[in-house]
Amino acid sequence: MTTTLLIVLFALVVVLAVLVVGLLRAYADVLRRLHALDGGSPGQGADRLPVGAPEFRMSAGVQDLPDPSRRAAATGSAAATKDVTGREAEWPPAHDLAGQTLGGEVVTVRAVGVEHDTVLVFLSSGCTGCASFWRDLARSGRSGVEALTGGLGSARLVVVTKGPDQESELLLADLCPPGIDLVMSTQAWDDYGVPGSPYVLVVNGRSGRVAGEGSGTSLTQVSGLIRQSVGDGGALGVGLASQAVRKPRSDTDREVDVDRALLAAGIGPGHPSLYGGDTTGPAADRTADQPGPRR
Amino acid sequence: MTAPMSPPAVTPLSGYGLGVQLPAGWEGRISRRPVPTTSFTPQTRADTGPGNAGADGWLGEQMLPVLHAANFPLPAVRGDYGSSAVERMGRQHIFIGLLEFGAECLGSALYAPLGVPRVSLADFHPNALQRRLPGQSGCQMFFTAADRPCCLYVVIGSWTPPATVAALIEQVNAVLSGIEVAAR
Repeated sequence: MTTTLLIVLFALVVVLAVLVVGLLRAYADVLRRLHALDGGSPGQGADRLPVGAPEFRMSAGVQDLPDPSRRAAATGSAAATKDVTGREAEWPPAHDLAGQTLGGEVVTVRAVGVEHDTVLVFLSSGCTGCASFWRDLARSGRSGVEALTGGLGSARLVVVTKGPDQESELLLADLCPPGIDLVMSTQAWDDYGVPGSPYVLVVNGRSGRVAGEGSGTSLTQVSGLIRQSVGDGGALGVGLASQAVRKPRSDTDREVDVDRALLAAGIGPGHPSLYGGDTTGPAADRTADQPGPRR
Repeated sequence: MTAPMSPPAVTPLSGYGLGVQLPAGWEGRISRRPVPTTSFTPQTRADTGPGNAGADGWLGEQMLPVLHAANFPLPAVRGDYGSSAVERMGRQHIFIGLLEFGAECLGSALYAPLGVPRVSLADFHPNALQRRLPGQSGCQMFFTAADRPCCLYVVIGSWTPPATVAALIEQVNAVLSGIEVAAR
């Protein structure tokens, strides 16, 4: 009798446990759906991604092309690489950029067949999700851009917007801090098949292939994901910083002092005394860093 | 993604009456600064800081096109003669600047050579740099093309050994051969 009672009680406990687990799972599903309806995304750390845009992810490694002559021709067939989850993934070939800057400068930016990596940040002036990216850029300034490239050995960061026919140059001029490399190129959006903004692509310069892409909530968040993927060693490419020759701050100070002394003496740009008294020489039609004709 | 195409051997870049055929790995920028609304002063220069030197210019300044080409990433803000860019150069890097000057220079002896020049080893010297940087060497030439007086300024990242310099100069001349100056 006692044994029968125990068996019945045990069965009752099991049934109740199954019911409780089922209720909890249903409750969690309801919460997830409510979160999604509230503008969220099921992904970790991705609160407001553009519709249809995948979360940012990096490849585990993109094979370099051993022959440098092949690097420039790396836009051939797609190569199979593994993503961070270890799955085989097709990382597409990258493209160089051609467009113009906010100042009307006509530019070609190389991302393929070069030693450095490039982080392309596709933004627009109107999208709400881009606001945090613009804020990160403004906060970091030019000197902090390296920090936003996720430790890719001081990879180059380029902001890409659509061309002047589809973007407001005035709004972009307000949003983009000075010194940030911004290229307006609708062609680049088409080349990379960008689904919406904000969207970030990491291009491995040596292989000429995309090494990571997706959207995120901010540049800081995406750079964190890049950093997690490649580690702090800048494994994807050779950095630019190691090759740079730093201009001493004292040089700039000295130039300012010289300018001040000359202007105080009434000698400004184009003053005849700067040309040995020859006022017919090259006029003062260049900016302040010109070395001037050597004589 | 669009289907990839075979990359061209050179990438054309043109604007403001200047053009260049950029070899693989080279990038370029052609600009003409906006007419300044404020005069250049030491204070505005100090405010702009390194990298923005000469950004303002001075009232009445004549703004003419500038072409920059390099086999390394050109920063967004540069001086006409490559300040803020040449500091980033490595030993294998090259910076080429082509600057147009005013019509008042036409016919002067300095600008008498016709056509975009070619460079040789003898043209380079560290003293020809706007500002000397370790290992770098420079060259400056003046010429007239399509009735437009121009200055060519080239910086190479190495001055030794000769074989390295010769290879760099060969690259320079390859780019120079692809520069076109259109008539106004």
